[in-house]
Amino acid sequence: MSDGVVEACDREPIHAPGSIQPHGHLLALEGPDLLLAHASAAAAGTVLPGNLADAFGQQLERGLLGELDGSWSERLRCLPEAGVVHLGQIRARSGSQFQALAHRSPDGLVILELEMIAAGLGQAAGGLVQQQLHPLLRQAFDRLASASTLEELAARGAEEVRRLSGFDRALIYCFDDDWNGTVIGEARNERLPAYLGLRFPASDIPAQARRLYEINRHRLIPDVDYVPVPVLSADGRGTGDPLDLGLAVLRSVSPVHREYMRNMGTPASMSVSLLRGGHLWGLISCHHAEPRWVPFAVREACDLVAQMLAVRAAAIEAAAYAADRNQLKSLERRLLVWMAEAEYFEDGLADHQAELCAFLGAAGAAVLSRRGCTLVGQTPPAAYVRRVAAWLGQEHGLDDVFATSRLSSALPDAASFADVASGLLAMPISARSSSFVVWFRPEIVQTVTWGGDPRKPLAAESGQLHPRRSFEVWKETVRGQSSPWSASQIEAARDLRAAIVQIVLTRVEERAALTGRMLRINKELTAFSYSVSHDLRAPFRHIVGYAELLKERASDHLDPKSQHYLRTIMEAGRHAGALVDALLHFAQTGRAQYAPTSIDMVTLVADARQMLEPDTADRRVEWRIGSLPHVTGDATMLRQLLLNLLSNAIKYTRGRDPAVIEVDCTVEDDEFVFVIRDNGAGFEMAYAPKLFGVFQRLHRAEEFEGIGIGLANVRRIAERHGGRTWAEGEQDRGASFFFTLPLEVVRLEAR
Amino acid sequence: MTTDTRLRPLMLVEDSPNDVELTMAALERCRVANPVIVARDGVEALDYLIRGRDGPLPAVVLLDLKMPRVDGLEVLERLRAQPRTRRLPVVMLTSSREEQDLVRSYDLGVNAFVVKPVGSAEFHRAIRDLGVFWAILNEPPPGSTEGGPNGDLG
Repeated sequence: MSDGVVEACDREPIHAPGSIQPHGHLLALEGPDLLLAHASAAAAGTVLPGNLADAFGQQLERGLLGELDGSWSERLRCLPEAGVVHLGQIRARSGSQFQALAHRSPDGLVILELEMIAAGLGQAAGGLVQQQLHPLLRQAFDRLASASTLEELAARGAEEVRRLSGFDRALIYCFDDDWNGTVIGEARNERLPAYLGLRFPASDIPAQARRLYEINRHRLIPDVDYVPVPVLSADGRGTGDPLDLGLAVLRSVSPVHREYMRNMGTPASMSVSLLRGGHLWGLISCHHAEPRWVPFAVREACDLVAQMLAVRAAAIEAAAYAADRNQLKSLERRLLVWMAEAEYFEDGLADHQAELCAFLGAAGAAVLSRRGCTLVGQTPPAAYVRRVAAWLGQEHGLDDVFATSRLSSALPDAASFADVASGLLAMPISARSSSFVVWFRPEIVQTVTWGGDPRKPLAAESGQLHPRRSFEVWKETVRGQSSPWSASQIEAARDLRAAIVQIVLTRVEERAALTGRMLRINKELTAFSYSVSHDLRAPFRHIVGYAELLKERASDHLDPKSQHYLRTIMEAGRHAGALVDALLHFAQTGRAQYAPTSIDMVTLVADARQMLEPDTADRRVEWRIGSLPHVTGDATMLRQLLLNLLSNAIKYTRGRDPAVIEVDCTVEDDEFVFVIRDNGAGFEMAYAPKLFGVFQRLHRAEEFEGIGIGLANVRRIAERHGGRTWAEGEQDRGASFFFTLPLEVVRLEAR
Repeated sequence: MTTDTRLRPLMLVEDSPNDVELTMAALERCRVANPVIVARDGVEALDYLIRGRDGPLPAVVLLDLKMPRVDGLEVLERLRAQPRTRRLPVVMLTSSREEQDLVRSYDLGVNAFVVKPVGSAEFHRAIRDLGVFWAILNEPPPGSTEGGPNGDLG
């Protein structure tokens, strides 16, 4: 149906129709003296003089053809700002009885309406006298107060309104987010069809009608086939600025609405607004198979029932919400405990699949973080989940939970996953790391029964709007929708999110504190080992120095054994000094600043080879250098690393002719893997784990000299770059030493 | 080695008697004939150098870094603050090479920084090189041969 038709309907100025229904007369009084300014045409000759000009501009008492005591004027002057006041009954000179209702119009005039009492409108005045209303109201209140579910409340509400008003059918009608209305309660006899459970399109009650119903809480059309009576003003034209009749009980309604009622087959209708927080929540709608009028007092009584029903409905919903929240709270608490205990909160969630899904009544969930995407239960594939998360971040921001029970209306291509993901509730956790927890609900194929084809609620024919003719049940199969997320579930997700954010924040702080402590401890240890080594150096120097002096002075006087002892002292002292030097150097590597640059490994290897030239001068060494990449790292440290590895290779191939030393690099996963291979003395794989330890040696000093700290240094340097080290070897068949450097430049802080 | 009558003294500032003995033995071994003035800590060194009444300025001061009361860095700082000793060649001798000592020493205007090697052969070589360079090879700063009772010998 074209939107233009709906819009036209929405724009109709129904509050100022310029005419009234004929079951009463309307007088508009102006100014402090309440002078007659407007009157409905039929008032002439009945309650006003036949020539209205005689009455206009006069005070009411002068013109009215009926008894009117003094207190009336008082009460007319003291009308409250809002609401219709029942002033009492008037008997006109002609003998007709009226109930007098007055209110202040938004224009500032006093509107006095005289509704005919039981004048030829089918059945007598609804049959209820004032005294009967109170016990009925009391009963109605009791029954509504004891209703425990919305269905029960709606059914009882419909019954009580029907009891009060005597209409053939009373409906409780509740609006959804799109202003479609569903009948949730009904009481009827067999004269009109059942509408319980049917849905009616939003256009059945256009926007300006809904607005009006918020300020004017009940309205009655006793006979839809009425001929509207124009409201005339002093100049007799009945045109010009029409009176604002929004609050008038006699207001004439839109012709579209009248046609609608005729098509529905209900000549008389009354509706009462159900308000929540001042806004339209639903309607009580009464229909009769023939014209019917009920007095103002009955309408007011129905309005009281409506208010009671609205309050009770809100209370029932609030109680259900609170009960849900309680249940969800306990689940939420368990989830939080698991998350807090896990090292990564995502695992804490993903490890408890059943509870994670049960938490929000979902069939599946996904936990997305920097570390990856974990799927739980029934979900779309990971790639799709990631896309949805990206879209969410862009379109809806990362500040709040997002819930939909019809994903395809937001994301068209979601239709292909409608079976598992028609409903989606996404909980963003952190903007920086784009972490999400997303819950999915499967499609539930629903059948909505409409009261008439909702695709054609209105038609524009020959320049006029016409409502649909058929109110036959029209079934719509709704696809791509899941069961909706309840307010308590959305709130629970918000709570969880707040808690996770708190945990993450706490973790970050803890980690920062821990890192701070570790850095301090590391610093202290390094300083300690440094100062100890430093202090040890001097005594070793002295040992060596004095032994040397002694040797010079006394070796002639010493027997070979003593000389041997002396030599041993010197060597031991030198060795101790060398150990201390190595330890100092190692500690220094730990403390040195990491200064990354882009490094050409080919150049670095060439540098190291050149520095080791003297050691290979007298030997045949075959170098096989593969293609080496550029890396990011600290040049000094990496040169030291290469020096250590290459000098080892040179040292342990001393017995080989030629010594073959290879340097190569491959790319695996996200790392450069470097290898330095030699054909030297090798080692037994059983001892491989010990290789990289500090002061670890696998050969005796007389076979190959050395301190045993070179490889520990290599490992430390590699680790500072975010890489790893390992070795493979075979006794007597050579060794391969591997180290990796990450491909991507990762921010290596404070390593 | 030299028949130059201008044998300016070397100064050794060292608190460890062992190190004094070893250094002196090394100097002797390398036949460095210059007289050696020994100060046992920073206070004694500054007394001699700044007051300058006890003798001429040495050709070089071999300054140990870690000493009680007044350490090598402070001695260096005070020396550089005095016009008399501002240009006096100072070689910092130390047990180990610590980054901040290095920076600080050079900032304060040290002329050389030598780490005492453990092996005696290396130590002898170092001492000999130092002695030969500073006492014989190096041109002293102008005006440094004046002062003191044994003053200008040339």
